[in-house]
Amino acid sequence: MAIDKITTPAVTDDSVTAAKINNDIISGTTALTSEPADTDEFLVSDAGTLKRIDYSLIKGGGITVADQWRVSADFTGAASPISSNLERVDTSGQGTIGSAMTVSSGVFTFPATGIYKIEFISQFTINDNTRYYINYIESSRNNGSSWTQISENASYIQQTDSNFTPQSLYTCSLFDCADTSNHKVRFRVLPVNTNTTTYGNTAHNETFFTFIRLGDT
Amino acid sequence: MNEQKYLNLALAQMHTGQWFGWKKDYTGDVRMAYENIILNDDTATMPSEAEVNAKIQQIKDAETNAATKKASGKQKLKDLGLDDDEIQALIGV
Repeated sequence: MAIDKITTPAVTDDSVTAAKINNDIISGTTALTSEPADTDEFLVSDAGTLKRIDYSLIKGGGITVADQWRVSADFTGAASPISSNLERVDTSGQGTIGSAMTVSSGVFTFPATGIYKIEFISQFTINDNTRYYINYIESSRNNGSSWTQISENASYIQQTDSNFTPQSLYTCSLFDCADTSNHKVRFRVLPVNTNTTTYGNTAHNETFFTFIRLGDT
Repeated sequence: MNEQKYLNLALAQMHTGQWFGWKKDYTGDVRMAYENIILNDDTATMPSEAEVNAKIQQIKDAETNAATKKASGKQKLKDLGLDDDEIQALIGV
């Protein structure tokens, strides 16, 4: 007698094995053509036990904020902080990801909480020697009422060919922004020879700041 | 350096601090031009174009003079009897 219908009692628990499943069980179904909703579910083998897991628990990993700002004009001497001529990069070919940082009087505010990598690169010059030139990244946990130095790097210029001699300097820090209203950063430069000029340019990056959100706080 | 960089450097060398910047809605072909200078600092005064050009020339003259002095100094060392290798070892040129 031919069987044209399997009734529930005929299939006992745990009796359908992988060998009984056709290879088209995934490719034969309708494709989801957009990102899954957070509550969409996936099958997973949890140490051999089949379970379901929400998409919200396995998504992520991409960069959601990558922003870059630069100083748009040269200046001479110290700046504490660098507070003027700050512009978001906008030259043809330059790009950013996500919402922008905002800045007021040199104090940068983050668009979202998270752990950020902050880079500060300055280029400077002098027609002389300068024994040191220091880059600082400073952070505040109280919306600028007080500041803490979180990164510092120093370099110098020993004049070459008796002329304006350029140099560049890099400093970097990870930063935990857990509160966008209060957790801020700013940038300083301190040349010992106050005739030192820090380069800035409207057309390309010379002295600039990069903010990349690496993940959740 | 191109002319825009000379202008930028000359302005920065005229006063300390971030006293000047460039108009956002600039006119002309490039933003970094005399006509697009703005003052960030209330205490700063706008230099005349002639003053800026004089500063640019001063920077260029310093570069030329440095090159001239380097050549003449090297020649004087040669006149004293040093050969090129000795001069190179001594002053790096």
